[in-house]
Amino acid sequence: MADIRVERLRKVFGPVVALDDVDFSFPDSSVTCLLGPSGCGKTTLMRIIAGLEVATAGEVFFGERNVTGLPPRKREIGMVFQYPVVYKGINVRENIELPLKSEKLSAAERRRRVDEVIEVLGLAAAADKDVGRLDNGTRQKVAVAREVARQPRIILFDEPITNVDATAKLQLKRAFKELTRRLSQTIVYVTHDQTEAMTLADQIALMRDGRIVQCDAPRTLYSRPADRFGGWFLGNPGMAFFDAELHGNGTFLTLVSALVPAPLAVDGPQLAPGRVTLGIRPEQVLVSTDRVPGAVPARLSRKSVQIGGQWLLSLTVPGLDERAFKAKVGPEQGARLPESGEVFVALPPASITLFGPEGDRLPASFPAASAVAAD
Amino acid sequence: MAQIGTFPDHPALKGIAPPRGRLAGLRSIEGSRAFPALLLAPIMIFFLVWNVVPLVWLLGVSFYKYKVTSSREPAYVGFDNFTDLWRSSEIWGLIGRTLTFMVTSVGLATLLGVLLGLLFWGSGKMPGRRLALTLLFTPMVLPPIAVGTFYRLIYEPSFGVVNHFTQAVIGRRFDFLGDKNLAFGATIAVDVWMWTPFMILMTLAALGSVPKAELEAAEVDRLPWLKRLWYIVLPHGKFILMLGILLRTIDAFKTTDLPYLMTNGGPGNLTEFVGLSLYRTGFEAFQMGDASALAVVTLLVAIAFTSIYLYVLNYRETRAQLT
Repeated sequence: MADIRVERLRKVFGPVVALDDVDFSFPDSSVTCLLGPSGCGKTTLMRIIAGLEVATAGEVFFGERNVTGLPPRKREIGMVFQYPVVYKGINVRENIELPLKSEKLSAAERRRRVDEVIEVLGLAAAADKDVGRLDNGTRQKVAVAREVARQPRIILFDEPITNVDATAKLQLKRAFKELTRRLSQTIVYVTHDQTEAMTLADQIALMRDGRIVQCDAPRTLYSRPADRFGGWFLGNPGMAFFDAELHGNGTFLTLVSALVPAPLAVDGPQLAPGRVTLGIRPEQVLVSTDRVPGAVPARLSRKSVQIGGQWLLSLTVPGLDERAFKAKVGPEQGARLPESGEVFVALPPASITLFGPEGDRLPASFPAASAVAAD
Repeated sequence: MAQIGTFPDHPALKGIAPPRGRLAGLRSIEGSRAFPALLLAPIMIFFLVWNVVPLVWLLGVSFYKYKVTSSREPAYVGFDNFTDLWRSSEIWGLIGRTLTFMVTSVGLATLLGVLLGLLFWGSGKMPGRRLALTLLFTPMVLPPIAVGTFYRLIYEPSFGVVNHFTQAVIGRRFDFLGDKNLAFGATIAVDVWMWTPFMILMTLAALGSVPKAELEAAEVDRLPWLKRLWYIVLPHGKFILMLGILLRTIDAFKTTDLPYLMTNGGPGNLTEFVGLSLYRTGFEAFQMGDASALAVVTLLVAIAFTSIYLYVLNYRETRAQLT
């Protein structure tokens, strides 16, 4: 077992609280991405797991082993840094082999491991080149290969593809996927890039202000964010938010908003009347030039084409605050829409997420949703 | 160079004049071809007046028989001064002594400097580190004239502090600066004492140029410390360290003040190095021609050292590019 468990982990840099009593467990043999904006504490958390940073309080366990006081070399981990680290003056093969020489391995076993990682990372052409002549992308591949060849049970990646060019990024991502398919290490991968996290992770731990706010599989995290922050941070652009209200008494509640033409029946435990926030992903907003059932009139102020042919629309709805919100539509539909003018928008109830006044997701469902969808 | 922050001088932008203002005059100067030369002028003038002219003068004097105190006109003697140097029995001893002094002194200072620098490196958060460093660097900032004078007192046979200890421990006194077996070593010891802090400083600077991530990676990779030094610290730090060694080598080769004050080259000529010999030929015997010839030789040796160092420094890079 090599799951990583941190308990009440706290790290303070002067007046800044980098980690705020984090309790978390990174599951064994899977890839966990630590995702969050700059300064949320994700790198600090990883460095404490590696032993490169000492926690102000709290403990770190690898399986049953308490490693809190151990230096990095005694933790039996691998780590790939943001800055591609290669050992100078020797070639790629020697670089990968160097740490293996400190382990008790036969020459044949060392060779086998080196050959294996060279093949997986596509380094065969560079294998006998001096590392001084390699570009950053290849250097980073060498760094990844070196850590993988050591076969530690835990490998940490600290934004490994931030400093390499676009082609190498793609190759490294592919190699990473291939590696995680073959190996069964516990991997922690720090990134601020949500696309990277979405593609590579088995689960994403979303961090904000020194806390892990949610940890779920990428799809779940995207479709069911635990709070407004998750909705806003994930997706490009993130969720659109609107003010709304829950009306009624404890047994029968309806959602009232300028975006739904008629009050929508809401079901869910612990819901109470009052102000709420309605959230929806831009690509789930239905936009059309005809008035479809459930739609409200809106004003399209701008449209622009995006990567992949999708169109990004800026919309405002009368009666709502004048702030524009974003919607995304497919290539054909986007092309048919006018540059600007009157349109109709509808929010499919199944795509609506409600957030309470504190920003946390409310366990709401819409019984009429299936009926509307069936129409 | 001149384009940073100014209107780019590009054909496509001709006719789109930058806004005319107070700086318009300055901009037209910056655009002109003479601008780089203008910027270089001060240093070139300085170099010409203080380096090139005296050097040419020196070279010229080295071809003359010229005694300052004599009323005779300087006489052109061709390469005589140099052939005299070549044939003299003393020059080889002089250069041999100087090189021995240089290699031993720089070698010891480098060894101690690197060792102490490595020890100091780990003291980033030690309280009082700043004070310790300041104290450590005192010898380096002292003028050699002061060092020479107080070491003469320290080494003094009858009341010097070193002899106080040797008397107490082994019951003997030594004339460190007068004994032919001890004077050379005693001089080297003072030079090493003076210049070890400089090598510590260079070592710390060299260590400071090593990227933190590489050291952390080596720690995670469990590399033994010798491999960390070889594959990480040395490749990054060698330029600064070699620069320190080079500066020290050139400086040690021309050491003059320390032996002049402590031993005046004695006993005999055991601690007389090139610098001191040059000084004596020029300003005690007033043989300007001979002194100039010796100075030219010294200069050539210094250039040779610099070239060797630069070659060694570039060797691995060159090799890496060739393979």
